[in-house]
Amino acid sequence: MSGVHTHQRSHGNFVEHTIEGLHAAIARAMYADTLAGRAGLLQHIDPRVKLAGLLGLILATALSAKLWVICAILLVSVAGAGLSALSIPALMAPVWLSALTFTGAIAVPALFLTPGVAIYKFPNLDWPITAQGLTTAGFLILRAETSATLALLLVFTTPWTHILKALRVFRVPVVFVVALGMTFRYILLLLETAHEMFESRKSRTVGKMSSGDYRRLAVSSGAVLLSKSFQLSGEVFLAMQARGFRGEVYVLDEFRMSHRDWTALALFAGLSAAAIWAGR
Amino acid sequence: MHIPDGYLSPATCAALYGGSAPFWYVALNRVKKALHTRLVPLLSLFAAFCFVIMMFNLPLPGGTTGHAVGIGLATVVLGPWAAMLAVSIALIIQALFFGDGGITAIGANCFNMAIVGSLASYVVYRAVAGRAAIASPRRVIAAGLAGYCAINLSALFAAIEFGIQPMLFHDAAGAPLYCPYPLSIAIPAMMIGHLTIAGLAELFVSAGAVAFLQQSDPSLLRATSGLPATQIGATRIGATRAGPVDPSPGVFQPRPTSLRPLWAALGALMILTPLGILAAGSAWGEWVASDYANPAIRQQMAASSLNQTPPRRAPEGLERWSGLWTAPFARYAPPYVRSAAFGYLLSGMFGVGLVLLGSFGVGKVLRNGKV
Amino acid sequence: MLFEVDCITYSYPGQTALRDLSLTIPEGIRAALLGANGSGKSTLLRLLDGLYFPDSGTVRFRGEELIEEHFADDAFAYDFRRQVGMVFQNPDVQLFNPTVFDEVAFGPLQLRWPKSQVRERVAEILDRLRISHLKDRIPHRLSGGEKKRVALASVLILDPAVLLLDEPTASLDPRSQSQFIDLLVAWGGGTKSVITATHDLGDIEDIADRCYVLDAGQLVADRIPSEVLRDTDLLRRTNLVHAHRHRLPTGEIHSHPHLHRSEE
Repeated sequence: MSGVHTHQRSHGNFVEHTIEGLHAAIARAMYADTLAGRAGLLQHIDPRVKLAGLLGLILATALSAKLWVICAILLVSVAGAGLSALSIPALMAPVWLSALTFTGAIAVPALFLTPGVAIYKFPNLDWPITAQGLTTAGFLILRAETSATLALLLVFTTPWTHILKALRVFRVPVVFVVALGMTFRYILLLLETAHEMFESRKSRTVGKMSSGDYRRLAVSSGAVLLSKSFQLSGEVFLAMQARGFRGEVYVLDEFRMSHRDWTALALFAGLSAAAIWAGR
Repeated sequence: MHIPDGYLSPATCAALYGGSAPFWYVALNRVKKALHTRLVPLLSLFAAFCFVIMMFNLPLPGGTTGHAVGIGLATVVLGPWAAMLAVSIALIIQALFFGDGGITAIGANCFNMAIVGSLASYVVYRAVAGRAAIASPRRVIAAGLAGYCAINLSALFAAIEFGIQPMLFHDAAGAPLYCPYPLSIAIPAMMIGHLTIAGLAELFVSAGAVAFLQQSDPSLLRATSGLPATQIGATRIGATRAGPVDPSPGVFQPRPTSLRPLWAALGALMILTPLGILAAGSAWGEWVASDYANPAIRQQMAASSLNQTPPRRAPEGLERWSGLWTAPFARYAPPYVRSAAFGYLLSGMFGVGLVLLGSFGVGKVLRNGKV
Repeated sequence: MLFEVDCITYSYPGQTALRDLSLTIPEGIRAALLGANGSGKSTLLRLLDGLYFPDSGTVRFRGEELIEEHFADDAFAYDFRRQVGMVFQNPDVQLFNPTVFDEVAFGPLQLRWPKSQVRERVAEILDRLRISHLKDRIPHRLSGGEKKRVALASVLILDPAVLLLDEPTASLDPRSQSQFIDLLVAWGGGTKSVITATHDLGDIEDIADRCYVLDAGQLVADRIPSEVLRDTDLLRRTNLVHAHRHRLPTGEIHSHPHLHRSEE
């Protein structure tokens, strides 16, 4: 699973790799922000409708016991992406690829290990590929891809602050929504701080660092970041108090439903219901 | 170990959302009471911190790299309830905005990593650290062990969730709809990676960070130290400090040693045990000798063992030894209890009670054995 | 009297920040709290804003004592927060909301203004500070000057009577600095009071009519800016300037007071 990486890395690459990872995360967060401003089909729809609608489709994907239904949902999502000015090669393809690699690795053994009707047998392997194995692998991969695509549609066509506020429609408590928003806001700051810590250490290092050195650097950076986070939280608390915060948070409700939104809602509901029914 | 979408059935996901909800609710109330208005900035900053930790690619001895979740560290600094919430927030953001972990699986991931992880960390940390001084090496070891145990327990829960999928959910032709690997594959597959790599990463992060903090900022370790309040005084959050009147909003008071919420958590887990009975058929491997002759059960055995036909007779050893001990609660239902579910519950409580008694016994021995 | 500080002491763990400090700040004043880093001026500002409470001594705002018990009362707290606004030194602390719009709207929302009114006022103040184009941006990615203007907007929207500023021009480039000063000068005057904590001597004549000089937690001078600037001895003692020595081409060593502008 994603917690485990077993490939060897040369010593020179540890810090670079972590920095790259941090950079990619920052870049992704920033890019999503600018895309949500473009003019496209989904951008204009009320965030609450999008949230509910796309979640409905994700649920339909999860519930489906038929492969073709999942395929259909995937196709619809891709169409939606195209109509919303989301570039397939730049945005969708990387996500598809990473989902494919990850889930593919998990799904391949299932081809052989799933009991059932044998379809093809490699000459020197004991276990044949079974029809059920193929189906299962298909389910795993298609569900992963479709879910990823739907989530992408939501995130890249909606400013994240709107997504969070839309959560209120699901009765998520205000304090959670506010905490989520503040977390996202400070993730960027902490990512950059961590990045700076690594960069500055890297620039002060002559020659190679051993893997133990890297580990110690990572752990001590982590601890420093922890202290800073704690301290920052105290200061933010003061700043909040200074502006009148006394425990209950109040946010602006910004969303109004238009005709277009109601139509979209009906469409989403219809699609999800049809998919759930067809896939049972 | 973030579970993506498509590996767990919607039913399992819903059950885990349902299982997480009471913990979130209790945690929110407890943390609100302890922190009042500081709740929002503290949880948010900490969640952001955990998010960044999860991105750190940590080099480990042996040439591999692993990712830590930071649950051990979060628990040692914040206590289990706040840590549970902070890590949940980080996981939700990862799933929603960064595609790390599925959206239907958010409940499952939070349950495994945030909830089980924080409770396990806390118990292990407190048990091993005891009343050692804040700066003692024993706390470093305790933190490392806490992180290690927590992440492995999380992995175990995830493995079990995976492993029961093929038994329960498949299409008309018998192809598993979700995770296709039964317990016999899922558990070793998950555990090997976590016992060695991910567990080590968590151990290093927890132990290393605590060691660092002992030097640089020991006040952060006071909240969960279990030391009496008089010995340690109040902790500051940032630079906030109150006047002579204590306690006050500016001060993060370490809670006195209260295990009551843990009892509640255990109680909740116990009440959920009858859910196990929903798993059709008997758990893999837990057959008695007479099952081998029962055609219905033989079918179940075959189905859950990659379609291997079970032997005609029970293995010799099983027959010989099974007569030796008749469990008081055979088949998890005392004979005088009619309802299977209630019997399950009863035996669950009994089992947990035994484990707790045992742990207390061990703890007492450890305490008396040490000064 | 706007603020009356009477013999206050305040300590952090292991360090006394303010020691037996007393001063009075009259209404309608533009004051500067001058002091080097560590002199206690930020701490004093926080005490004036009711964020910290002194270990001993009293702080009064328009006659009312600022103690914790008083802030537990909703009416008192709302009233105070509306009248006194503070801009923190670190913009990442000041700007904790997801977008600029949310940030500026936070204050009025917490003070329970009607939502429609909030929307209008936010648009108005963004316009006045010429940052309307930033309203949907994440505060994190703004430039230093933009962040300061957003911070100012988020406080000015409440139309406070008193503005407390902690090192407002720190981390700003020279042009942003002068723009900020202009904004302040335009806003102030009449019934409004501004108290600025700074160690930057460059602008104090523009922004202040009176300087309170702090050193090691104590008040060492209470004068008008031009007097303070002339008193190089005081400035050197309090670490607001230092003697700068350099070697002239002739071989002589020349020493003269060296003024530090806000760096970073």
